[in-house]
Amino acid sequence: MPASVAPAPVSRRRLLQASGASAAVIALGIRAPQAQAETAPQPEGLFSLGVACGAPRPDGMVLWTRLAPEPLAEDGHGGMEGKDVTVRWHVAKDPEFRQITARGQALAQPALAHAVHPRVEGLEPATDYFYRFSVGRQNSPVGRFRTLPAEGAEVESFSVGVVSCQAWYHGHFTAHKHLAAEEELDLVVFVGDYIYEYGITESNLWRQGVEVGPAHQVEAETLEQYRLRYALFKSDPHLQAVHARVPAVAVWDDHEVQNDYLGGSSSTGVPDDLFAHRIAVAYRAFYENMPLDLEALPDGPDSDITTGFDVGNLARLTLLDTRQFRDPAPTDPEDQQRPERSMLGAEQEEWASDRLADSPATWNILANGVVVAAITEDRVDMWDGYPAARQRLLDAMAGAPNPVVLTGDIHRHVATELLADFSDPGSGTVGVELICTSVGSDGDGAKTDANTPDWLQHEYVKHYDGRRGYLHLRLTPEELVSSFYIVEWVEADDTAPKLLSARFTTPAGDSRLIPA
Amino acid sequence: MSSTPDAVTGLTAHPALASIELTWDPLGWDPLIDHFRIYAVAGEASPGEPDEADLLGKTVYPRFVHVDLDPAGETWTYRVLAVSDAGLRGEASDAMTGTSQPSVTATGREIARIGDFDGRTLELHLAPSSYEQIAVDYPDAVIEYEQGVDEPGTAWPYLLPGPGDAWAGSTAHRARWTLTLDGEPSAPHDLAIWLADTTRLGGILRVRVNEEAMADIELPTGSTRGSREGDATLPDSPLLRSFHELEMPEGLLQSGENVIEFELAEGGWVAWDAVGLFAREG
Repeated sequence: MPASVAPAPVSRRRLLQASGASAAVIALGIRAPQAQAETAPQPEGLFSLGVACGAPRPDGMVLWTRLAPEPLAEDGHGGMEGKDVTVRWHVAKDPEFRQITARGQALAQPALAHAVHPRVEGLEPATDYFYRFSVGRQNSPVGRFRTLPAEGAEVESFSVGVVSCQAWYHGHFTAHKHLAAEEELDLVVFVGDYIYEYGITESNLWRQGVEVGPAHQVEAETLEQYRLRYALFKSDPHLQAVHARVPAVAVWDDHEVQNDYLGGSSSTGVPDDLFAHRIAVAYRAFYENMPLDLEALPDGPDSDITTGFDVGNLARLTLLDTRQFRDPAPTDPEDQQRPERSMLGAEQEEWASDRLADSPATWNILANGVVVAAITEDRVDMWDGYPAARQRLLDAMAGAPNPVVLTGDIHRHVATELLADFSDPGSGTVGVELICTSVGSDGDGAKTDANTPDWLQHEYVKHYDGRRGYLHLRLTPEELVSSFYIVEWVEADDTAPKLLSARFTTPAGDSRLIPA
Repeated sequence: MSSTPDAVTGLTAHPALASIELTWDPLGWDPLIDHFRIYAVAGEASPGEPDEADLLGKTVYPRFVHVDLDPAGETWTYRVLAVSDAGLRGEASDAMTGTSQPSVTATGREIARIGDFDGRTLELHLAPSSYEQIAVDYPDAVIEYEQGVDEPGTAWPYLLPGPGDAWAGSTAHRARWTLTLDGEPSAPHDLAIWLADTTRLGGILRVRVNEEAMADIELPTGSTRGSREGDATLPDSPLLRSFHELEMPEGLLQSGENVIEFELAEGGWVAWDAVGLFAREG
């Protein structure tokens, strides 16, 4: 969003603007034209957390890795000494790196947990590339990506994986294994709860065949604890495979900080001025561990993860932050209906509406953390708690071609049509909402459960499945095909085959979910 | 980004019941503070340079509560330092000594008690998580408990619901504690009310003795987890304990039967740790 968002005092972004960026960009692990650090021998296994890329553009990408020879070192520094390390990167047109297209260096620094976020530029649009990092003689795993199509280009198809709610301790990431093997895949969208902050104890460690030490048994509150939590989750080989396979973009929900926190407020009674310190370290750890652009680097407890991009003229993606700027939970039903209540905050709301209004794309995709569709009035953590804000969003969607909302949060696959006005069943549909189930959260699950009637009571809700899995979208100028995949178990091991739970077609110009 | 954090300043120790609250000045955002480390030694002697063997805890907040101290009172001396995002440690603060406030549960003579003053709800009825049964078992929103007849595990539910609790009919519940005194109280008495947790709603716990208003206790904002978890003394438990000890106004208690009534008049439930009546010694 929001170059227009006023930066808080002592803004690092302001420093960047003021200093011409060079020194700060080097310090931030983005670019280091000359070797900045000693090349002392480093321990083996520097790339144990894999590689990733994101923030896609037609001419480039942000590449990511975090050096961690001992990823589960309890101080959160991954076994690295407190020194800077120069990391080289290469981008090539072939996986053997014979045709190098771009190269550069970044500085891995202890202040960012030895994560680097170089942005490679000057690439060709709609072109496949391979990338890897190296330090000394150690090479990282090879990642790959396809740059976005050129602005306004005609695009035949674009495929997206959607995942959420990665409670590592509840089960194996079998869904990621299958997603990484998808034949058609251009992007993965994480729609929240990439990590969970809860302590991992006997009672919630349902992933069989693993053990965790005492440092994981407490709720994450400090930077070292959040860093350690990301390292634990990102140690999963299937998650690493997804990241290496395609670019990733992400929005957060609550568990990247604390269950049910909202705005700047804790859900457990910690005063706001204190809780800001926890938000600051949690947001920092999110930046350090994701392939994000510089704009997402937090400034204290303020961060900006909202962003967007176009896939030629086929699709416009807009990533929303439904956690940081929302109003408090309603105090009573009257408060819940107050027209000025906001989920996105005024600036983000205007920005999102503008992106919908100006869109040249056939498909307009909004990724957000919580369910938009009206389900029950007591689900106040979802847009149900913000009905007036939802109506404004639906009104904005009504003015754009083919809106599609991508959501996570509920640990269930749900496919629903979005009515123009949920208080008027005859108001027609303005879009569809595709809610992906969790990768791990809630363990094996079952197709139906106690929550099923709440969702399927509505005619506009077309599908419900309570098992783990992922969502696959294939967009073409003519239609959107959404495939809801599940796996029948995740707790015992990662061998469950993928099953198709449901598939829908949404024709362009006709916002319905038609079973396919 | 990788500068060494400043020394911690403004360290202050605030005495409380069975705990000492430490606060200090926040250090800003650059460098980002990974966490603060709190070092403590018993007594009034300064710990000198921080020794990892004296590490009491770590926190991201410029505040730390040293809990589970002896209710009779303890004295500790503290130093705090900051660790930056790069793992660099700042200088430790000056030493600060604090003494916890003695509790009547340690200094007084116990007259009567429900539950154990131990930071846990576990010995109470329906603990640690069967709160929904309270609405079923007490449809009139009144809990009666007779000292010497009833037992905490069967007659004193671990939660007292309030108007903010939809699951309990959004009703102010009352818990009535009947106890018999052998004679007219000769010494001042104190009422100890220890809570294992409260809700994010806070509220008012109204105390009446023999139908006369005694106090409205303003409830602190709690974690709202005490309805599902019963042990606030576990490491990193989210439960937010609170301690309330009130002197009984003279003449309120009488020889024979007395009724001390707790009403959750506003807000959400309290999770009891224990309640007790104590006579002052000497």
